[in-house]
Amino acid sequence: MNASLLSQSIASGILVGGLYALMALGMSLNWGVLKIINLAHFSFILLSAYVTYQLASVYGWDPFLAIIVTVPLFGLGGMALQWAFERFRISEFESLLLTFGLFIIFESLATSVWSADFRRIDSAANPYASSSITIGSISLSIPTLSAFVLAIGIAFGTRYLLDQTHFGRAVRALAHDREIAGAFGVDHRKVSMQLAGLAGAYAALAGVFIAMSSSLFPGIAVEWFGIVFSVVILGGLGSTMGTLLAGVIIGTVGAIATVVWGPSTAPLVVFLILIATLLFKPDGLLGAKGGV
Amino acid sequence: MTSTNRNTSLITLAVAVVLWFMPTFRETLDYPVFFLLFGYSLFFWIAQASSWNTFTGFSGYFSFGQGAFFGAGVYSVAVLAVKRDWPLLTTFLVGGLVAAVIGLIIGVVVFRLRKLRGEIFALMTLAVAFVMASLARVSPTIDGGQGVPVNTVEVPEFLGDFPTMIFRLGLIVATLAVIAAQTVQRSRLGWGLFSIRDDEDVAETLGVPTFRYKITALLLTSFIAGISGAIHSLQIGYVTIEDVFSIRVPLFVILMSILGGTKHWMGPVVGAIVVVTLNDRLNRAGFQEISDFITGGLLIVMIVAVKEGLYLRMRARPARTAIGFVVGLAIGFALGALDESLITLLAYGLGIAVLAVMLPMSWGPGGRTAPTEASDKVVSRG
Repeated sequence: MNASLLSQSIASGILVGGLYALMALGMSLNWGVLKIINLAHFSFILLSAYVTYQLASVYGWDPFLAIIVTVPLFGLGGMALQWAFERFRISEFESLLLTFGLFIIFESLATSVWSADFRRIDSAANPYASSSITIGSISLSIPTLSAFVLAIGIAFGTRYLLDQTHFGRAVRALAHDREIAGAFGVDHRKVSMQLAGLAGAYAALAGVFIAMSSSLFPGIAVEWFGIVFSVVILGGLGSTMGTLLAGVIIGTVGAIATVVWGPSTAPLVVFLILIATLLFKPDGLLGAKGGV
Repeated sequence: MTSTNRNTSLITLAVAVVLWFMPTFRETLDYPVFFLLFGYSLFFWIAQASSWNTFTGFSGYFSFGQGAFFGAGVYSVAVLAVKRDWPLLTTFLVGGLVAAVIGLIIGVVVFRLRKLRGEIFALMTLAVAFVMASLARVSPTIDGGQGVPVNTVEVPEFLGDFPTMIFRLGLIVATLAVIAAQTVQRSRLGWGLFSIRDDEDVAETLGVPTFRYKITALLLTSFIAGISGAIHSLQIGYVTIEDVFSIRVPLFVILMSILGGTKHWMGPVVGAIVVVTLNDRLNRAGFQEISDFITGGLLIVMIVAVKEGLYLRMRARPARTAIGFVVGLAIGFALGALDESLITLLAYGLGIAVLAVMLPMSWGPGGRTAPTEASDKVVSRG
């Protein structure tokens, strides 16, 4: 095998891992802190990607600009969902089923608006898709590179938010013990909604980058389940740094498997990692300490 | 919970025997062949939903693994009967056994871990289905990504023409699944599983052999799901990884059981009949997306508002169910549903009955308090 091919694919794998981490972060926060397994998170990513497609292809926006629409939209969406979960006292287990229902509804919504065909932003409207930065023999595509940089920024930003701010202390108190936190004056409804809004915003960002770098069809969201769950579990629930690390690991391992054994083996390797993590390290890479 | 005894199973068997002769009298009764295929579809989903519920509904351990067991059955036929010319009926049995072995492996590995939480078990079963799909894609012996044509396989002569054959095979497995669920529900095993669902730690302290019970139930579930999948490969005709391991099988099985109610063997049966009938009619009328909306919406409504499921509600409110059904039939009849098909008329009856039952309990004549909440199971343990 050719060394430059391998180094090129490792580099792309690391960058794609950043995108995986971006997709998984909101999911991980929802699950780790709010005890909500939110499958609608995948729908938010999908719809954000489609909105980006719509704005860029039909209205001629710069795809990056779509952020000013999608981030508030899905941030509010996340808050609304969390409000409903609190209102109906949804348990962790019920949340999985309920958001499964939402997931189906959003998927058929996407199908009825954008059809089941492949959609891709026209290259005229999306100059970033084909542009890349070359370092030595390795070329890095702009959409995945920016997703990677953003994922790092967001992971560290969230870590700072959780460690250093009043909001973060409230979140961590909530994650440990909801009742005791309430007794100490944490308004759990308000804090939960803010955090769910943040998670929704992360989903929106991930969606924008996906629209810039790949083709869309409604069924694509199901295909993210395996990768994103692997990243969330490997990273450890609610662990921002763990999720970032896990995203990069999964991305890199997948890329290496693709080069060494062929593209269809990548999911196999990733899912075997997921099973091994569930069995041997259910708290994730950084252990319970890595969590919120 | 004790409303099932040996007589229930005898009645089930009697119904099955009557249904067995339905294809024989097709000419006399003069109904379209489609009825047999529709009947098979009901049997298939009743078998899948009942088998899922026998483990998950009774024990509370949520499994996404139905697709894996089903897929093991489908691909046993595709690999052995199509590619290696094994006798078809043998491969059905092998399909069940392969699925059971997968169930056994998952169970032994996962239930050995003391601190395993329910949602991690759920993800684990999902991951196993993903792994199996990727394995099938990688391995040319299984599939290799090309798909396998099962419709070329040789079918034993004595089974009759295709609609008769698939109807009867489906009937056998559905009867097996339902009687298995009834038997489990009234046995020590069932009580043990219920105690695990309520509180596994307490159950263990009281001497319930939780590990053995969970494994037994999982074996039963996976075996039936595997046989049912093996037979379904004939119905699919051209087997592909995307279809077999799609999220649709686990999703629909979950939906049907939650809709009907997971605490009673009758729940998945009711759920399967309602979902299959309504889905079939909506799809036939060209409302595929509306049917998806309804599927998702029903799941949400059930979880938020009707936690005990349709069956227990229907049993608590028989009058409302019957009136709803009759009113539905009348509306359907007035709208000319019978011109299209008897099944369309049935769909109207079921749809209105379900709506009537779903309305809040305290509303209407003779309002009583709802039965205890079905989803009181707290999944996080340890």
